[in-house]
This record gives sequence, structure tokens and C-alpha cells, in this order.
Amino acid sequence: MPQGDYVELHQKRYGRQMDHEERKRKREAREVKKKSALAQKLIGLKGKMNAKKNFKEKVAMKKTIAQHSERDNKHKAEEKAPDGAVPAYLLDREQTARAKVLSNTIKQKRKEKAGKWEVPLPKVRPVAEDEMFKVLRTGKRMKKSWKRMITKATFVGQGFTRKPPKYERFIRPTGMRMTKAHTTHPELKCTFQLDIIGVKKNPNGNMYSQLGVLTKGTIIEVNVSELGLVTPGGKVVWGKYAQVTNNPENDGCVNAVLLV
Amino acid sequence: MVHYNFKKIGVVPAAKDFIDIVLSKTQRKTPTVVHKGYAIARIRKFYMRKVKYTQENWHEKLSAILDEFPRVDDIHPFYADLLNVLYDKDHYKLALGQLNMARNLIDKISKDYVRMMKYADSLYRCKTLKKAALGRMCTLMKKQNASLTYLDQVRQHMSRLPSIDPNTRTLLVCGYPNVGKSSFMNKVTRADVEVQPYAFTTKSLFVGHTDYKYLRWQVIDTPGILDRPLEERNTIEMQSITALAHLRACVMYVVDISEQCGYTIKQQASLFHSIKPLFANKPLMVVCNKTDVTAIDSLGADDKELLRGMHSAACEGLEADQMDGIAGDLASIPTMSVLTEDSVSNVKSMACEMLLRSRVEMKLKGKSANEVLNRIHVAMPTPRDSEARPALIPEMVTEMRAKREAGERRKTERDLQEANGGAGVYSADFRKNYMLENDDWKYDIMPEILDGHNVLDFVDPDIEAKLDELEREEEELQRLAEEEGQDAMEDEVSDLEEDEKELLGKIKRRKAKIIETHREKKSAADNAPKVPRKLDKERKSNTRTMRTEMASLGYDPSAAVERARTRSQSRTGRKRQRDKSMDMDTDEQERGRSLSRVDARSMSRGRSQTPGGGIKDLETAKKALKIADKMQFKRNKLAKRGEGDRHIPDLKPKHLLTGKRGIGKTDRR
Repeated sequence: MPQGDYVELHQKRYGRQMDHEERKRKREAREVKKKSALAQKLIGLKGKMNAKKNFKEKVAMKKTIAQHSERDNKHKAEEKAPDGAVPAYLLDREQTARAKVLSNTIKQKRKEKAGKWEVPLPKVRPVAEDEMFKVLRTGKRMKKSWKRMITKATFVGQGFTRKPPKYERFIRPTGMRMTKAHTTHPELKCTFQLDIIGVKKNPNGNMYSQLGVLTKGTIIEVNVSELGLVTPGGKVVWGKYAQVTNNPENDGCVNAVLLV
Repeated sequence: MVHYNFKKIGVVPAAKDFIDIVLSKTQRKTPTVVHKGYAIARIRKFYMRKVKYTQENWHEKLSAILDEFPRVDDIHPFYADLLNVLYDKDHYKLALGQLNMARNLIDKISKDYVRMMKYADSLYRCKTLKKAALGRMCTLMKKQNASLTYLDQVRQHMSRLPSIDPNTRTLLVCGYPNVGKSSFMNKVTRADVEVQPYAFTTKSLFVGHTDYKYLRWQVIDTPGILDRPLEERNTIEMQSITALAHLRACVMYVVDISEQCGYTIKQQASLFHSIKPLFANKPLMVVCNKTDVTAIDSLGADDKELLRGMHSAACEGLEADQMDGIAGDLASIPTMSVLTEDSVSNVKSMACEMLLRSRVEMKLKGKSANEVLNRIHVAMPTPRDSEARPALIPEMVTEMRAKREAGERRKTERDLQEANGGAGVYSADFRKNYMLENDDWKYDIMPEILDGHNVLDFVDPDIEAKLDELEREEEELQRLAEEEGQDAMEDEVSDLEEDEKELLGKIKRRKAKIIETHREKKSAADNAPKVPRKLDKERKSNTRTMRTEMASLGYDPSAAVERARTRSQSRTGRKRQRDKSMDMDTDEQERGRSLSRVDARSMSRGRSQTPGGGIKDLETAKKALKIADKMQFKRNKLAKRGEGDRHIPDLKPKHLLTGKRGIGKTDRR
């Protein structure tokens, strides 16, 4: 026992007070009442947090009880058929597998030709122009209103230089420019922070795609060299498409889902 | 001398609690109300404030943690090594590094989101941005949970480390487990170290303090060390090794010669030799313990050889003049038995002496000693002749010293007390040293209370002298007054006739009397009677007793009684009248009496008025008294000390009328 542990040393030498067990028992019994009083008294946010905490405890308790009584529970015995199992009357036949293994690249090329993609968010709420742009007044008397400021998140690319301020029509503020996207791999279920290479298509229109506006449902291209994907031909994949799944202007970050 | 105080480190909360603390602080300390209809700048400001406030809070709390934890590189190497042994320096540094990084990341998050919020143009957008910012900060901290819990455990353990000062005089006790190190500690210091028969009872360093030569010495008890290579040592042993390596102390290597600890002398000697490199530059002492079981002479020859070897190794550090062949001498090995307390203090003194010597040596060798020595010069006066001039010691002192040398001790009061029954029984006679004029009065009984009053209230050492003076003064004044009267009379005697002269004299005397009484009244601070009412319990100072007493003395009291009845205020006048009547002849007496009657008639009206205070007559005086009474009545009923003794109530207590509601509006309280 270290030198400074006076409490423990005293307890070791002289023991606890005589009614220690009694008091402990009574105190623990009172905890129940205190807990319920608190649950009734707390209101507002604190009340919700308390209720949530209690609920979690309850669930955990139920689970442990269920686990403990696992031994006595009875379950239905299910017999699943193994893969490739064939019913008895077909056992004599030979199975011919005629599936043609098509490479992924060919599939993608076909899809591109068709102009159809399977995306996680097929339908997206349309964004109106007045929601997208904010009118900026310019001129000596502040009467001209041909400039627009984009109120959504944008992507500009590395070599971007803006047009001379006198002539630029669409202003993409620096604060709203995003360079990284938090992309989730749908099968691996893990998220990586990957660089955006470019904006492929914005469902609200071509103009927005050209401007590089990132709204919900936009298809972007991300740099996946971090993931270390390799084509069957042996080439390293470093760019893949992803679709934006949140509203970046509300959350301050771009969340995307990798397209296969 | 820096005394490390690791107890002041603040508690490091777990991640969940930390988040709760910071977020609830933001909720309490920033404005809570914002509406859609406000100007967008106001909305933005509101939410930006929340984000900034939270960031500042996190920054402050994390900085506090990072500052309070000691930096392993900045503290004394002993403590640095000890922390490394106990908590693993790498893990410790990593944990702190993670918190530092978290702090920087939080700052970055806040900056980014505040920048984004400038372009938000609706309340909803601002709100979601703020939510995202705070959420990100909190998820960041949730990931630091492991570091936070580790740091809290470190803090708890560190605050209980014994406060060892690495720079002061220290004795370090080391050896195999169970040789008697902790018992030695218990004997020498007031530290209460556990002593048990099993090995590794002491699991950490213990500190105790002891005194030697009016100086404070630290005694450090270490856990036992086993004979193993350094890599295989466990944490407990490593603590002793750390202490041995870093503390500049006198090392006492304790050997159990009775082998009761379970290790032979051979094993103990081999351990000694294996850790010898740690004893470099330190005064070393090999101590044999448990001599009550086995005497050192009864050991075998090879055991003695081993002990000699250890002892000579220990003596290598000593100076050549101190060696003197003790290296090979078995008798010079310090032995002790802690159980029977045999020569424990000898051993301690030896160790302290060794350390003192070595410390003094070190200081002399160093630069600063030389600097001081160069500046110090003791000047001895050159003798002008061969006469010896010794110091002057008074006779009494030399006598006392001789007595003390001879062994005589003066009998003190305490001795008397002990002789006569002890503290509760004997009461000291302090009267024997009283210094009085007459020594017979020493044991006289002085009354303290007489007639219910303290005698000392009325005692005055100069009372006789004062009385004489007063009487003399009175006589003087009387004489002057008489002379004045006579002189005045002689001036205009020739001009006047007989009865006119008489009248003149009367008038003059009356005038003088008026002036006299007026002066008395002015000088008298209060016109209370000279014998206060409280001393006159039996009500003896009244005219009746006066009459009887005067009659018993042989005088005619009627005049005096009449005067007293009319002039109830003044008393000194009465005395004067009496004297006059005693000293002068009859016609003077008559005149005096007639005068008094005249005075009595005219003075009574004036005397009944209470003078002073600007009150012109009795009516107004009475009214004034009544008003004063009325004013005081209520206050006195409430037992107030005065008009200033008043209670000022607090009609709008701050704690009831301020603050926000948890839920709901604050329209009414």
C-alpha cells in the first residue's frame, strides 16, 4: 500500500465502522427511490437525457437477463439447405453453367453508352434558382443586378483562377469551397476522407454542373488511390464516382457514397 | 529547493462527462433566444457566438490539463525516471500529445464553421451549421476517451506519491526483501510502514523524516531488490533502482546476517556486487541487521570473508585518513538489531555523519565555496602588550557555572511542585517574592469585598497625599477670600457710615458667595450627591441621622437641618458653614447664619431650576424629558442599543429575482 493511502491503511488496521454493512445496504435500497424521484423531477433537455440513459440501462439489463436464461430457452431447430443442393429427382442431371463473366469495365462502358446509372439517390428535390443564387447589386448607384453569388457548396479545382472581378458573373465564395468529401464504401461500410477531383453531374441542370455546385444528389469524382483498388487488367484505379448524400451548405462537409 | 506538488493537478473528466460539462456551460452562458424574424446578421452573430464560445471552452479546459501535468523533460531526473517506471513515459507523452492535437483540431473546426456561417442566409442554415460544428467537436473528444481515463488514473496515482525532495540530505535504505529495512524506518522516523513476514510488503518508496544535529534528514525506504539483470526487473524493483540511481544520498545496504529473510549471505553479497555501479559517488554503508538472532562473530569464515569484502568496498569511498585499516576489520562493520533497538541510533548517526562529511566536501570542492572563502577574513586584533585580557564574566555567572559543573541544581518551582504532590495538589506560593515596605505584611490577608463592593474600586495609593493637598488648597482659598474681603472693606471705610458699612459688607459677602456657588456648579460635572445612592443602602444620609449625630457630638443641628432642607442640592457649602461656625466667633457665626438665611431664601428659587442646555424654565425642562423618554420608549422595548441599532431589510433579494428559467418564461417571479 503506498504511503499516501491513509483511508485504506486505516481501514486495513481498524476495519470499518460497525454498522457499515447495514448503512450500505440501506443506502443502496434508497437509490431506487432517488432515481425515480429524479426521473419525475427533471424536465426539458435534462429530462430527455436522463430518460435516454435509463432506457439504455434497461435494454442492457434485459439483454443480460436474456443471455443468462439462454440455456433454458428452447429454439426451433432450423435446417437450412446447403448451397448448390439439388432435390432428389434432379440428382441425375448435369448442371451447365453458362454465365458469361463480363468484366466490370465493359459493364460500365455499356452503361455509359446507355446513359443510365444506378445511383443510391435516384430522385432529388429540385433546387430553385433563387435558392441557389443570391443577387448582388453593383454599380455606382447599386442598381445593376447581374451578379450572382452562389449560396451552396462548390468545388473549383486546383488550378482555378477567377475571372477579373469586373466581369465575373457567378461568385463562388472561398468559404463555401469544398475540397474533400467523406465517402462511404457501401460494401465495406467504412468512410474515408477523399479528395474531390471534379463535379460530374448536378441533377439540377447543366449550368450547375459547369459551375461545380455541390448539392444533394450531385455525382462527383473522388480520388480513391487511398483504397488501393486494382482493375482485373492490373491497372491501379485512382478515380471513382460518388454521389453526394447530404446538404453540404447545412452541414459544412460533403458526405458521399461511392458508386460501386 | 523545489518541492514537487503533484496534488494540485485538476481532475481529468471522462469523455462523456467532459462533453456534458462543456455543452451545458455553453447552454447556460450564451443567449438562448433567437427568432426567424430577426435580422440575418443578428442570427448569424447568435450562432457564431455559440460555436466560438464552445471552442474557447474546450481550448481552455484542455490547456489547463496540458499545463498542469508535469512535463517529463522539465522535472528532476529522479521524478522523470520514476514517472517512466510507474506510468511508461511513452504512453504518458502520447496521451498528452493526443489531447494537444485534439485541441488544435477543435480550433480548426471552429474557424471553418464560423467562416461558413458568414454565408448562411437563413436561421435554419445557421442552426444546422452550429449543430454540425458542436457535434464534430464532441465526436473528436469522444475518441479521446482512452487518453482521458488514462491521464486521470495517472493523476490519482501521482498525487499520492510521497513528496521526496531530491536535493536535501537523504538516507537510502536498500537490500533484499525482508531484511528489516521498513522496521528500521519505523524505528528511526515517524513513518508508519507496514512490516509483514512476506516478501515485497513494501511496494513503493516510503519517506520518513528524522533529525540529527538540528537538521532535517529524509529517510527513504525502498522495496526489496532481487538479484536479476536489469531487463527482467519488475516495476516495484525498478522504483528502488531509480531512487538509487538519481538521489544523492547515503546508501545503507542492509544485510540480514541471520538469513531469516530467506536469502543467504552469499546471495546478499552477490546482489551487493551486482548493484555496486549504482553506488558510485555516494557514501555507502553496509549494515548488518538482526544481530539479536545471530551475533556477527558466530558466523562462518566464508560469511565473514564476504562481509569483509562488502565492507572494504564500502570503505573505498572514504578518505585515506579515515580508512586507517578499518577495511579489513570485522569489528568496524556497523551492526544493529531493529527488534531489540540495539545500536539503531548509532548506525543512524554514522550514516548521517558520512553524508554530512561528503556533502561538505562537495561544497568545498565546488566554486562557490572558494568564492565565499576568498571574501571572508577573520580579523584578529594585534596585541599591543603581553597583558592577557580575558572575557569579562560576572561573578554570579562563574559561581553558577561552577555549581552546575559540580552537579548542583538550583531548586526550581517545578521541583517544589513535584515534591509537594504534583500539579493538581500543590499551589505555588507566589507571595514569598513580594516586595513591600515591611516584610511582615507579606502574608497579610487583604479583604477583597466589603459591604458588597470591591475594595479595590475605592483604593488609591495616594489617597492620604491627595487628601492633605485638598485640605491645604481649601485653607489657602479661604484665607485669600478673607483677605480680599478685609482689603475691600478697608478701602472705602472712611467714606461710609456705620450701617452703610455693614450693608456694604453684607452685599460683598453675598456676592462672593453667589460667585463661589456658581463656580462650584459650573465645575461639578454632575450634580449627583457625593455619596451615591447605591452606597447608601440603609438610607442613612438624610437629615434625621445628621441631626442625631450632630447632637451626639454636642452641636446644635437645627440650623444645619434647616439649611439642608432648603438647599437640597449643594453639600460642600454645608461643610464650609460647619467649619466657619467652629472657627469664628459668635457674631461672625450669627452673621453667617443670617447670611445663610438670606441666601437660603433667594437661592432656593434659582437652585430648583436645572441649569445648562438652553432651557429657560422647569416646564420646558420637564417637556424635554418627556419627549426624550417617548423617543426612547419604543427602542428600549425592542432592546435596541440606540438609534443606530437598526435592521435594514433586503426587499429584493438578488438570488430570487435574477437568472434564467430552466424551462418557461420569466414574466413573473
